[in-house]
Amino acid sequence: MTSVSDNTSRPGKVFPSAQAALDGLTQGASVLIAGFAGCGIPENLLRGLAETDVGDLTLICQGTWIQESGRFGIADLVASGQVRKIISPMPFYPEDGGPVKSHWESGKLELEIVPQGILAERLRAGGAGIGGVFLPTGSGTRFAEGKETRQFDGRDHFFEVALKADFALLRAKSADTLGNLVYEGAGRNWNPTMAMAARVTVVEVDQVYEPGGLDPESVITQAIFIDRLVLTS
Amino acid sequence: MTSLEELAEKDRLPREIVAMRVAKELPDGAYVNLGIGIPTLVSSFVPEGRTVYYHSESGILNCGPIAEEGEEDIDLINAGGQYLQSVGGMSFFDSAEAFAMIRGGHVDVTVLGSHQVSATGDLANWMLPQRGVGNVGGAMDLAAGAAGVIVAMEHTDRQGNPKIVEECTFPLTGKGCAYLIVTDLAVIECDGKGLTLLEVAPGWTPEEVQQLTGAKLTISPDVKEFEL
Amino acid sequence: MPGPHLDATRMVRRAAQELFPGAVVAIGTGLPCYLPGEFPPGAGAWFLADSGVLGYRGLETDGAAVDAGGNAVALRPGGAFTGVVDVAGILRGGHTDIAILQPSQVAANGDFVHWTTESTQGLFAPGSAVDMAYGASKVVAVMPHTYPQGRKNIVTSCNLPVDGVGRIDIIITDAAVIKVGPAGLELMEIAPGWTTDDIVAITDAPLTISSGVKEMTFNVPTLEPPNKVYATAFEALADVPEGSVINVDGFAGPGGMAHYLMVGLRDVGVKGLQLISNTAGIARMSAFGAPNIIDHSILVENNQVAKATASYPVSPSASRASAFEEAYNRGESKLEVVPQGTLAERLRCGGAGVAAFYTPTGAGTLLAEGKETRTIDGKEYILETGLRADFCIIRGHKADTLGNVVYKGTSRNFNPVMATTAKITVVEVDEIVEPGELGPEEIVTPGLFVDRIVLRPPDFSAYL
Repeated sequence: MTSVSDNTSRPGKVFPSAQAALDGLTQGASVLIAGFAGCGIPENLLRGLAETDVGDLTLICQGTWIQESGRFGIADLVASGQVRKIISPMPFYPEDGGPVKSHWESGKLELEIVPQGILAERLRAGGAGIGGVFLPTGSGTRFAEGKETRQFDGRDHFFEVALKADFALLRAKSADTLGNLVYEGAGRNWNPTMAMAARVTVVEVDQVYEPGGLDPESVITQAIFIDRLVLTS
Repeated sequence: MTSLEELAEKDRLPREIVAMRVAKELPDGAYVNLGIGIPTLVSSFVPEGRTVYYHSESGILNCGPIAEEGEEDIDLINAGGQYLQSVGGMSFFDSAEAFAMIRGGHVDVTVLGSHQVSATGDLANWMLPQRGVGNVGGAMDLAAGAAGVIVAMEHTDRQGNPKIVEECTFPLTGKGCAYLIVTDLAVIECDGKGLTLLEVAPGWTPEEVQQLTGAKLTISPDVKEFEL
Repeated sequence: MPGPHLDATRMVRRAAQELFPGAVVAIGTGLPCYLPGEFPPGAGAWFLADSGVLGYRGLETDGAAVDAGGNAVALRPGGAFTGVVDVAGILRGGHTDIAILQPSQVAANGDFVHWTTESTQGLFAPGSAVDMAYGASKVVAVMPHTYPQGRKNIVTSCNLPVDGVGRIDIIITDAAVIKVGPAGLELMEIAPGWTTDDIVAITDAPLTISSGVKEMTFNVPTLEPPNKVYATAFEALADVPEGSVINVDGFAGPGGMAHYLMVGLRDVGVKGLQLISNTAGIARMSAFGAPNIIDHSILVENNQVAKATASYPVSPSASRASAFEEAYNRGESKLEVVPQGTLAERLRCGGAGVAAFYTPTGAGTLLAEGKETRTIDGKEYILETGLRADFCIIRGHKADTLGNVVYKGTSRNFNPVMATTAKITVVEVDEIVEPGELGPEEIVTPGLFVDRIVLRPPDFSAYL
């Protein structure tokens, strides 16, 4: 097993830096960002995104996590004014809203708040070539308001359209140079679903192996979904 | 004009050459799904210097070559039921994911055989009406989902009837999905509106190819002999 | 003066009494996070965190796993990691027995408000609370009876936008246990030192006092993991009712097919079966397998199959008809042909609680006839519905006694998808191991989907 440990440019999918791997991510782009609480966050790519100064972004993510994890995160991008909109099930913590709350209150940030399972299913539909789905979640609540309603098995279901994005920023434990990925623990979270749902999928990983370095039974995200790899610094 | 009887006697390209011509179309780094028949042969002819990754709906990506006799593993097959060799960088997944890759447009090119192809790129390859029942398998998903379908087939059926037709008379697999047709006589481009003849087999004229084609062909001004 | 308010530990210990052996329990943010730690690590319940952690125990100081609240947790032996989309499927697909949430407000009819407060009305954070509330068979609210000081959390009707309508079944507070019924709220238990009048005084909604009202207790039940291992295929399938819908894996070749269970199902002899499978028994007629391989044909030949739903139902060659094609031609069996990817997606959706979906596959073809079409972003789609089953028989490589399964190579195919779709899922494996022997990153089918495990006998042959 060969570990590619140097951070030099390689042919194929391995990119030399976060900045290089974000090439083509332009003003107004929609960006999927994986991670859950402190796990599986593409912190290096987020820093790279901050350095690009690209603005007017729509971010689709679990949450903003900065306060509790003390890491560079989405809230920092919000604070720097790069973000126009966030689609998320948990864009802030009510008692501790941070920049998300202040930017929302001042009208600089739009929020689309959706239950986690609905968002996950919309992204999976986008990635799997499904146009839309009927889900039973949230009947009678604001999450079903105004949506096309249909009964299946005697229960109200609501139409949810597939969701895709321009870029996805992911974090995995290891990859091979083809782009096959394995994760660690709860670091898996949104990564496999988001990997499918973007035009360009970029992953930061701790280690890149030659093909054959990962057990084919344990690969969670297949190379076909991955466009660019960058090593964590 | 050559008579149909004379045309029936003329030499056509062997299946391997058809496969070789298709292989030229596969871009470096592409994810490719190969159907059964001539398409299966394509993997043997990918030009040197290009790497192509094969997807199979049996739940494997980066398929290795066909296994040697005596080395077959029942847990390592492609969609055609052929046994594969184990290679580094392959990965396994379930059927839902296999088709998410297809329908979601992640598979770049699909090569399929067909009973009929229409002037607008409709494909009919899953059912012969006289049997009353057919095996659709993954064909409709491949037709609907992949970024593009290359059809690789004989130009005419065993009775000599054209397989390229104005409108399919057999049950459709998908509408407007073929963008290139490679046969043992010709290479034909399909833009969704009509067919353009790009290349002909050695010894054949565009007019002769048209005679064995059930749909109107626009003959490209640059029409040439098969390029391999 | 009433007694002291219960602390978090006592509240979750009372909530633990709602669990039963083998229960799948989704744990929400806040107070519920303390519940798994009250059980011993080997207890027979599946704690599920929407972070993608399945089968965990108490809170830890460090680790690669976090719960819904972002707290570090440890896996129990046989726990596994998964992704959020699969968690959503476990919640929505009817696989979750109990959801435990901390609402900020609950109404007399079971409506609840999750994290919204008067000060943050426009900002809210449902997380997975809505998915849990609408997906679980039973929803338990664990919450302070009043908070902050003086604010009554159990109300006649919610004064904030709700995150679930009529979803809460039982409320466990720091002072009482209240059941939500069709007639309103019923006070069932009170904390030590409290009177029913004390509870009424801090509850905004009207309360009926149960005739059996009693003092709360805090003993945690012993949850023995249910036994899933059956001695033979016949025993594991003996109770399959006539006319059942049965999902059977089998891409076509000898790998991935539950041959031993098929023989068991034939020996049980139950009739009128509706098989959902990639093929309807073709291995003997195709290049996929040896000519004498055991496949669905043995069920067809035994006159057990009333209908097949399949993508590849007949032999590739018309001159070599399969047992199913002959039965179909005689009018004895019905057939529904479904494209393979649509079949896989219908099964996935059935298992994940997606009632219906729009697929581009088959648009404009014979198989779209009679189906609703819809244009989305300029592309034509047809509506397909999710598929479920009464029983499912699948083929794994190894299982642990909790039912976690790993597969081998391309023999995975439909197995993991089908495992999520049935009321009773039975798996046939080459080896049964103890919990913890299959790696938490490698488990493909989590044990909560698997009800019965059968070891393929070492002398069993997949060939007739």
